[in-house]
Amino acid sequence: MKKNILFVLVSCICAGIFIASCDNHEMPRYAAYSAYEYSQLDENGGTWTPILLTGQEGITVDPPADVNSAEYQSELDEVKGLQANLSKKQREEVQYWTNNPLLRWNEIANELAAKYNLIPGPNPDGTYTLPNPATPEGPSPFPFAHPAYTCRMLAYLSVAQFDALITAWSYKYEYNRMGPSHYDDEIESAYGHSDLPSYPSDGAVVAFVSRDILKAMFPLEAAYLDERAEQHLGSLLWSGANVPSDIDAGKQIATEIVQIAKARAAADGMSKAQVNKVISDSIAQSAFDRYGWKWENMEIPKRPVGLAPFFSQVQMWSVPNVEDVRPGPPPAIGSAEFQEAARELQDHQDNMTEEKRKIANWWADGLGTYTPPGHWNRFAKEFLIKYKQNPLRSARTMAYMNMAIMDAGISCWDAKYYYHYPRPVQTIKGFKTILGTPNFPSYTSGHSTFSAAAATVLSHIFPAEKSLCDTWANEAAESRIYAGIHYRFDSEVGLTQGKAVAQYTLDKMMVDGAE
Amino acid sequence: MMMKKREACFALMYDRGSFDHYWEGTNLRTNETIATVTRVSVMPMIAIGILDQLNAYIGVPYVKTESDEPNGGQLQGAKGFQDLTIALKYRAVHTDMGPGKFSAFVASGYAFPITNYLSDYRPYSIGNGTQELSLRGIVQYRWDMGLYLRGMGGHLFRGQTAAERDYYYANGSYYTRWMDVPSAWEYNVVAGFWLFDNSLKIEGTYYKMQSTSGDDIRKYNAAQPTNRVIFDQINASVQYFSKHVKGLGALVYYNQMLNGRNMGKFAGFGVGATYQFSY
Repeated sequence: MKKNILFVLVSCICAGIFIASCDNHEMPRYAAYSAYEYSQLDENGGTWTPILLTGQEGITVDPPADVNSAEYQSELDEVKGLQANLSKKQREEVQYWTNNPLLRWNEIANELAAKYNLIPGPNPDGTYTLPNPATPEGPSPFPFAHPAYTCRMLAYLSVAQFDALITAWSYKYEYNRMGPSHYDDEIESAYGHSDLPSYPSDGAVVAFVSRDILKAMFPLEAAYLDERAEQHLGSLLWSGANVPSDIDAGKQIATEIVQIAKARAAADGMSKAQVNKVISDSIAQSAFDRYGWKWENMEIPKRPVGLAPFFSQVQMWSVPNVEDVRPGPPPAIGSAEFQEAARELQDHQDNMTEEKRKIANWWADGLGTYTPPGHWNRFAKEFLIKYKQNPLRSARTMAYMNMAIMDAGISCWDAKYYYHYPRPVQTIKGFKTILGTPNFPSYTSGHSTFSAAAATVLSHIFPAEKSLCDTWANEAAESRIYAGIHYRFDSEVGLTQGKAVAQYTLDKMMVDGAE
Repeated sequence: MMMKKREACFALMYDRGSFDHYWEGTNLRTNETIATVTRVSVMPMIAIGILDQLNAYIGVPYVKTESDEPNGGQLQGAKGFQDLTIALKYRAVHTDMGPGKFSAFVASGYAFPITNYLSDYRPYSIGNGTQELSLRGIVQYRWDMGLYLRGMGGHLFRGQTAAERDYYYANGSYYTRWMDVPSAWEYNVVAGFWLFDNSLKIEGTYYKMQSTSGDDIRKYNAAQPTNRVIFDQINASVQYFSKHVKGLGALVYYNQMLNGRNMGKFAGFGVGATYQFSY
């Protein structure tokens, strides 16, 4: 009898442990891809039109040492010496960075966005202290990486990477010095035998540009970014992809480009985007005088100023004037169209389904995450891997997509604060939502404008993915209605708006020499 | 502590707890976005005496959560059937010892969600959204005059839960919808007293649960199923076993959390009715 009981007990426990251990879904921390053979080399990439460079900057890269010189031979010996003593960690770094390390830096950028995408809470006295770049440690750490901040960060990162790589490509094909494995059989190239010239090092260009732009955008992460860049630069030698002089040449280019990018960033108007209460109230009053309504923050304690009311004044990349892409006004509060939209919202909340809930959550990309711009950068990354784009073309994809996303964001914020439309929780009595209402007005939806702009650019570069991108953008727009934080017209107009803004980006892309 | 062979007990429990302070990491704070959060559960359960030394338990709560008004977030609460628990308890030792009796038990339970509730919706989510295997050891000494002392130590093996998004941050990026819900150690010490010819039982409990891994809630940010949850709690209960209506019983308790990490500082009460019968 006792044996039976023991048996039952033990087998139940074993069954339980077995069932419990079946929960071993992978939880990847970064994209699982390896170095790949580029689909094309883009030999004339150096002739493409850069975004910031005018050609007058006079960036020079000295000719490389001859491959038969003693100087170069000693560099080969250095690489061989390193390769003979690689540690496990160094091998892992080589595997991780791949021969398209721009994607890894994009992941790092998105991760920092997620880390810093936290809204300041109230002080004990009910006031709010916002992050200040002059005192980045606090009380609220700088930056608050909200969607406007993040899309701008990604745009400057991508544009700087792109311009720097165009310059690098130009010199690569002027000097035509290949990677060390071409000149010495004893040197192993972890990334395969590439026909892309290696002087200057595109990996070094990406490492230095990314490190320095991200340090400017996330000042508290300087030590961390230095460490990541060090590992990346080390892996360029450990992999056998470069010799040290390749890296030095890349650094020369990066240093110049970073200066130019920072100069534009310092003057683009972002420093004035988060206005004070006096200006914020006057913006609200203008809308109230015009339309008879104004958005208000409904949090407790109430936030006195919305998020970045003057983000609309930041310098756009491709659109001459933000008013050129401003949509028409939303339906008047209380009008038939408004009431229909409000009824739809109430209906969704009263009849929430698991499917609608999932769509709302899938596209939320809210506080604590990489934001909608980050989500689209993830899609772009996956396409770049799928289509095996080389670093230059990858940079071009990211640069144009992120410029379109940022222009769309500027246009969206222009509509938000010009029309100052109240959110559903403000207009619908007793209304509850399944996602939190953000600290900025309703019309138009940021998700919709960001997504439509990104989808437009990605569909242009990857025509086979147009249907998928459109589905994503439409679902992202719809998700905000299920969440209860946007009216249908916020999302529908937002989609149109994002597409219209991105057309200006496409116009530039079609004549930059890459197509 | 145990049903005899061919005895069973049906119970219906009502539990209500709320918090207006929570531990963000180890920092106790309020948050007007959620204001005061209340969690109510109604749970039917049944204990079955398979043998004098072996009991089985099955229970499933219906849980409802919401914030009171006014609150700054205006978020929906959540409601639904939570997890089904199936457990076995085996009394390995039951022996006279001095002026009383000493008993030792092992218990094992398995719980899993029976509805597709969203676990990544804290503080309103009605459960962890993952399976949990519990293994517990219990020892008790009961004096013949009615006083008893009990101790329990156990481990809760928890699995992964599916969020409805495929990127989250927990001390770094995760490109997946799967979140690891940390496993935990738990223990309690109980002191109790039987009165009035075993018709009234008064009990005081100190309980602690400690997760072995996980991240902290970030500043003014929502909690996540990945968080490292730790809390301790005191509980006082009175249970009545009717001498007039055979098998009928009632239970009332009050509990209060003391210290914690990544947890709402709950205080609450419960009432229940029990009916014991032979089959």
